[in-house]
Amino acid sequence: MGILDRTAALDVARSLVDSSTADETEVVIDSQEERFVRFAATGPTQSADHERHVVSVRVRLDDAGGKREGAAMCDGVDPALVNGALERAIELARHAPANPDLAPLAGPADAGTCEPDAETLAHGFEPKAAWVREAIDACRREDLVPSGIAQTGGEARAVVSSAGRAAYAARSRASYALTASSPDLVGGAGFADRIVPRVADLDPADVTRRAVAKSVANRDAREVAPGEYTVVLEPAAVSALVLFAGYQGFSCQDVEEQMSFLCGRLGERTLSESLSIADDAYDATYPGIPFDWEGSPKQRTPLIERGVMAGTVSDHAWATKLGVANTGHARLQPHPGGPQPANLVVAAGDQSLEELIAGVDRGLLVTQFHYTNLIDPRELTLTGMTRNGTYMIEDGKLSYPVKNLRFTESMTRAWSRITGVGRDRAVSGALFDGEVVTPALRIDGFRFTSTTAF
Amino acid sequence: MTDMMQLARRAVDEALAQGADYADARVVHLLSEELALKNGRLAQAQAPEEFGIGVRVRRDGCFGFAAAPITSDGRDGLARDVARRALRTATELSGAVVEPSKLAGSEGHVAEFTTPVEVDPFAVPIAEKLEHLRAAEASMEGDDRVIVRKASASSRREEQWQASSEGAAIHQLLVRCGAGIGATAAANGQVETRSAPASFGGNYVGGGWENVTSLALADEGARVRDEAVALCHADLCPPGTRTLILGGSQLMLQIHESVGHPNELDRVHGHEVDLAGSSFATTDKLGAFTYGSDVVNLVADSTVRGGLDTRGFDDECVPSQRWHVVKDGTFSGYHTSREWAHAIGEERSRGTARAEGWFHPPIIRITNLSLMPGTWGFDDLIADTEDGAVFADTVKMWSIDQRRLNFQFTCEIGWEVKDGKLGRMLRRPTYQGTTPEFWAGCDAICDERHWRLWGVPNCGKGNPMQVAEMSHGAAPARFRGVTFVEA
Repeated sequence: MGILDRTAALDVARSLVDSSTADETEVVIDSQEERFVRFAATGPTQSADHERHVVSVRVRLDDAGGKREGAAMCDGVDPALVNGALERAIELARHAPANPDLAPLAGPADAGTCEPDAETLAHGFEPKAAWVREAIDACRREDLVPSGIAQTGGEARAVVSSAGRAAYAARSRASYALTASSPDLVGGAGFADRIVPRVADLDPADVTRRAVAKSVANRDAREVAPGEYTVVLEPAAVSALVLFAGYQGFSCQDVEEQMSFLCGRLGERTLSESLSIADDAYDATYPGIPFDWEGSPKQRTPLIERGVMAGTVSDHAWATKLGVANTGHARLQPHPGGPQPANLVVAAGDQSLEELIAGVDRGLLVTQFHYTNLIDPRELTLTGMTRNGTYMIEDGKLSYPVKNLRFTESMTRAWSRITGVGRDRAVSGALFDGEVVTPALRIDGFRFTSTTAF
Repeated sequence: MTDMMQLARRAVDEALAQGADYADARVVHLLSEELALKNGRLAQAQAPEEFGIGVRVRRDGCFGFAAAPITSDGRDGLARDVARRALRTATELSGAVVEPSKLAGSEGHVAEFTTPVEVDPFAVPIAEKLEHLRAAEASMEGDDRVIVRKASASSRREEQWQASSEGAAIHQLLVRCGAGIGATAAANGQVETRSAPASFGGNYVGGGWENVTSLALADEGARVRDEAVALCHADLCPPGTRTLILGGSQLMLQIHESVGHPNELDRVHGHEVDLAGSSFATTDKLGAFTYGSDVVNLVADSTVRGGLDTRGFDDECVPSQRWHVVKDGTFSGYHTSREWAHAIGEERSRGTARAEGWFHPPIIRITNLSLMPGTWGFDDLIADTEDGAVFADTVKMWSIDQRRLNFQFTCEIGWEVKDGKLGRMLRRPTYQGTTPEFWAGCDAICDERHWRLWGVPNCGKGNPMQVAEMSHGAAPARFRGVTFVEA
C-alpha cells in the first residue's frame, strides 16, 4: 500500500475533524513505509517490507477554568479505528483537569509541502541483495566480516485542525551503512555510510570501499594513554555530539526550565567563530518535512551563529507563553518534552578532511562515537566511546590505528576550541534518534578519560 | 478473538501455499494510556492503539518479513497480501544467502497465557487515575526552588495471536503498569533532578493498577523534593578508587548493560555490529569464564511474576524459561532464539526472541534478568563498610562500549559512608569500570527483604531500533575497588 497520498491522508483527517463534537480538534497522520535488509557474513539476517499509518487525534473541550485536553492514536486509517481514537480522546478530555494555560489551536498557515522520490519508494529487495553480495565479497577479499543495513522508504505527514490548518508533505530516504570488522570482532573495524533523499544518489560501492579501507587501516591498533588530544572528528562522530544539543539544549523549554547549556549565554559569543548550527528543514542536502506536528511552518532557526549562542526552537504553546515567534518545532502533541529541533545543520567550512588532518601535529582522527550520553545539560557534558576506526595523527599525517578511548567532555568547552571545519558535509545519525547534516570538525584539547582493550 | 487467530493462520497458509518452507504470523492489538501531570497542569493524556499483522517466512534458507495495519474490511486479502510480500522479500534476498538460516526445535504449541492482574488498569476510571497523580504531584509542592514537578502513569494491554506452520496457535494477554514522580530543583547555581521510585517514568511491573497504588507515590513526594534541593548544595562526588554500594534502581541498569546485552547470542556473533555492537562474552567463555565473584548469581526468567517480559511464549512460539546466565560467578548461559540456539549446541531456544509490536521482525531481547539476593541486611552492609565508601542510587546517565566492557554510569544521588552510616550527600556520583572486573569486586548482596523487580520500559536494540521491556531484580550490593571519575 505504501505511504498515504495527499488526497487519502487529508480526506481521512478532514473527515475526522468534521465529525468531532469537541470544541477544538486536531488530527495528525504519520504514514511510513520501509524496505530494509540487514546483513552479515552469513548473508541477509533480517528484513522487512512494512508500512504503518499512525493517526493521532487531539481534542479540547472548553470549560470555565480553561481547556480540557485529551489525545489518542491508532494504527491505520480504518474508519472504526480512527473513530475509536476520536472517542477515546474525547473521553480522556472529559476527565482531564481544565488547563487555563492552553492556547487555542493556531489558525491557518501556509505550511509548504514536499514530494518523495518515486524511484526510492519503489526500490525493492533485488538491488539490495546485490549490494549485500558486493559487501560480503569485498570484506571476504580482505579477511573481514560485514555487518550492515540497506534501507529505502518514505514518510508522509498530514495535519488538519478545526482551526483551519491543512497541511501535507512527503519525503523519501535511502541509506546504506557498512561496518567491516576483523573476523574475531576484536581486531579493528571500519565504518562508512551514506544517507540521501533519493536512492539514485546512493553509491553503495563507494560506501563499501570506504568501510573496508577504514578497517584495513585499523589493524594492529596500539593503545594510547587517555588525556587531551587535538581531534579531527568525521561527520559520523560530530553527529553524536550535535544531536545531544538537540535532545537537550536548543529548545526554549530547556532554557526556561534551566536545563540547557544556553542558559545565561544567549547572545554571547562563547564558542569558536567557525561554528554555526541551525535547524533548517530547507537545506538542499537533506530537506525535511517543512512543517511541524502542529502544521506550523518550520523556520530556518539559527541556534549557534559564528560562535554566538543565537537562539532556540519553539512551538505554538511556548511561543504563545513567551511572546516569541513560533519557529515550527512542535513534537507530536501533547508532549511534556516541549519543542525539539528536527533538521540540525552544521555550517561547512573551507578545508578538506586531508587539510584538517594536515593541521594536526599530534592528535586523533575519530570515525565514529558509540553510546554517547549526557552527564550535565548546563555544560552539555557528554561521554562516549570511539568506534570503528580511530587513528593517530602525527606531523599532519595518519600514523597508526589506536585502540578505542572514552571521552568525557563538555561541548561548551570543546566547541570553543574548534580550529577547523570541513567543507564537505554528510548526513549522519548516531545510536539514538535523529540525523544531522554536518562537516568534520577539528578541535583542540579534546578530553579522553579512559581506554579499553580493543 | 478467534477471528484474529484465523487471520494469523490464513497468512501462514498462504505463505506455505506460495512456497515458504516455514512461516509464522502474529496479530498484535495493543492499547496504552499515558497520563502525566507537570507543575499542576495536565501535560499528557494519550491513549494509543496499535493493531496490525506481521508475517515472517523462510524460503531457501532466507527469512523475509512483512507487516501492515489491520483493517475492518478485507482482512483475508490483507493477510494473504502480507504473506506474499514477506515471501517476495525472502525470495529476492535469497541470492545473497551464504549460510542458510535454520530453526532449532519444533514449537507447535496450542496455548493461552494471561498476565495475573488484580485491578484491570483500563477499568479504573480516568478521574481516579488523574487524582492519584495529582496527589503525587502535589506532594512535591512547597519549595520554590523546585522548578519542575512531574507525576506520570502508564498502562498497557497487549493481546497477541500467533500461528505458525508448525501448528502453533498461541493467544496471550499481557498487561503492565508503571508510575513515578520526579522533581527538578535549581539552586546554588546547580540544577538537579530526583526521582522515585526510579528515573525515566518510575517503576513498571507486569500486572495491574494495583502496582501503581502500591507505590504510594504521594508518600514519597516530600523526600524527592527535598533531596532534589539538597543535591544542588551537595558536594560533587570526588574522583578516586573506593568501595561502591549500589541501590537497586541503579543496579538494575548495571545488570542490563553489562550482563544483559552482552549475553544476547546474536550480538556475540556479530549480527548487531551495524549499530548496537558485539560482545566480549564470546562462546569460548561459556562455562569457564569468571564473570564475577562467587556471590554473583544472575538468573534469566521469563516466568517470574511481575516481570515486564513475563509471558507464556516468545514471538517464535517458544515457551518461557528460567536459567542461570551467571552461576556462582561463572558464565553459564545465553539469551538465544531459534535461529541461534544451534550456535552453542543447544537443541532448543531459550525463548527470548521478541518484536516490538506487529511492525517489526523478532530479534533476541533480554528477558527478565536478575541478580539473586544475598544474605545481608542493608543497615548491616553499611555498618560493615569503611569510611569513604559511597552508596549511590538511581539512573542518571549511562554509556558503555560496543563490546560491553568499558562503562561509565552516573547516578542521581549518593551518600558517603561514615562511621558505619550514610553521611554527607554527594552530587552526580559517576563510576567507570570494565565489566568482569567490576562484577569480580562484588562481595556482598542484600537479602530478599531488599530485593525487588525494576522495570526497564525503554530498552533499544536492532536496526531500525526496536523498543522492548524487561525487568531486573536486584537488592543493594557492594563492589570493591571501583573507579570514580570527575563528571
